[in-house]
Amino acid sequence: MATGSGFSAQTLSVLAALSDQPSEWRHGYALAKHTGLKSGTLYPILIRLADRGLVEACWQDEPQPGRPRRHLYRLTADGIAVAGAALAAAAESQARQRARAPLTKRGATARAVP
Amino acid sequence: MSEFGRAGDAMRRAALQIVPAARRDWVDAVWAESPDVPPGWRRLAWRAGGVQLIVREALMQRRIGTALLFAVAAGAAAWAAWPGPPSYLAISNHRALVVAVIVVLAGLPLLARRLFGPVSRSRTARALRVCTYAAVLALIPARNVIEGFRDVPPRGGLDLRVYAVVNTEHRVARTESFDGFMFLVIIALCVSAVLWLTSQRSRVAPGTLGIGAIGGITVGAAVYAVAPLGLSKAATNPWLPGSDVDPLVSLAWLLVIFAPPAAAFVAHRRYTAAGTATAPAAGARQILGAGLLTNLVGALLVSALGTGTTALTLKEAWLRDWLYHGQRQFFGIAGLRSLLHGDLAAIAYSHELTAAVDGSIFLVMCAVFPLIGLALIALPVLDGLGSPEREPERSPEKEPERGRAATVRP
Repeated sequence: MATGSGFSAQTLSVLAALSDQPSEWRHGYALAKHTGLKSGTLYPILIRLADRGLVEACWQDEPQPGRPRRHLYRLTADGIAVAGAALAAAAESQARQRARAPLTKRGATARAVP
Repeated sequence: MSEFGRAGDAMRRAALQIVPAARRDWVDAVWAESPDVPPGWRRLAWRAGGVQLIVREALMQRRIGTALLFAVAAGAAAWAAWPGPPSYLAISNHRALVVAVIVVLAGLPLLARRLFGPVSRSRTARALRVCTYAAVLALIPARNVIEGFRDVPPRGGLDLRVYAVVNTEHRVARTESFDGFMFLVIIALCVSAVLWLTSQRSRVAPGTLGIGAIGGITVGAAVYAVAPLGLSKAATNPWLPGSDVDPLVSLAWLLVIFAPPAAAFVAHRRYTAAGTATAPAAGARQILGAGLLTNLVGALLVSALGTGTTALTLKEAWLRDWLYHGQRQFFGIAGLRSLLHGDLAAIAYSHELTAAVDGSIFLVMCAVFPLIGLALIALPVLDGLGSPEREPERSPEKEPERGRAATVRP
């Protein structure tokens, strides 16, 4: 789906989730619940964002007892800037599409009238 | 943890080995989250995403894809070369050779990766490797068809006498195992040379590989047109009556001798024009790469096509008739003409047998052509490699790392 930002809708949802509190480290399951993405979709997106230097990742310092250490993610400085611009562009594109839809309907009606 | 969970964890750890090291953290990350996912289908789906990630990352590295492709191609080559009664010693030798060649082909890239580094990132390098392997795999069944035909003497009659004359004329005193060993050694050397030239550590530029490949295809096509395509002296003479020197044969020899230095010159010039040659050794590598590759590709191409065509002439009568069109008599071997007396079946058999005996010449080409190429470019290469490198060279295929490992906090 075209979002007008250069990112897919799923990637934008991950960027949006990470942008909520950019300084906070988030773990994968929280991101999955926030975005509604499955693990098979979420992690390749996180890998791509990390490859582009937009997301940084680290392992939890002190694991909770009885469970393995978690991998945590947050936006880098570049990531915050890029995410902000991409989300703004996507919102603008969505607004344009919303504005164009009634016009198209009106035009179609006008052409239909003899 | 349950038995089922422990088994799953062990399988995951084993599967991780096929994932590049830089990506393993990400797979571990998926599993690290699974205790928080509600048990049942949701947790299973979450872990399935982890398995999907393993497969995706492994396939991204092309290792499994390449291995599968090779396994299928090698299996097809072995299947095509396998038929025949196993009681024949020659057939057993052929089968052993097929297995040995496939083992060598499978092992050489692993060895090359250790010695020469990974494959160069250019598409030309990968294409060259794939084509080399395709040529060698095509050689296996084709060679077996020829060997099978040549090794089985007719039971009697005129064909047996033709067999004796052709084999005596060619002085065939061969031992199966020695032939097979030489085939294995020459093929291993040729494949090793291609693996080195297309590795990152050889620092041969992709453009140089392209020039060498184009030169090689030209050489191979010219030599293949001479023989066994049928445009040999006997066939071209009717078109050029009175000509003592076959122009096509002359062209093929000229290409074999002059194409390597010409390709080396063009590659060196292109490399220095691009401003990438900061040391004489870098230029020498381009000369060596293009010069060696030209005759190497030419020899492998003509071997695969020539052996394949010869094998087809033994199987398909229409091809034999087309290649030897109008040649009702045989002039090549002394004593054969008087023996055949216009017997068309015996003439056809003599053509097939001679083609089968001559088939081994392609293996000689694989050994000799690259040596000719090396000899002709030796001086500039030695001169360049002998010069001290003043500054580090820029790798022609320097690209940013695809996978950046996740930062691991201590």
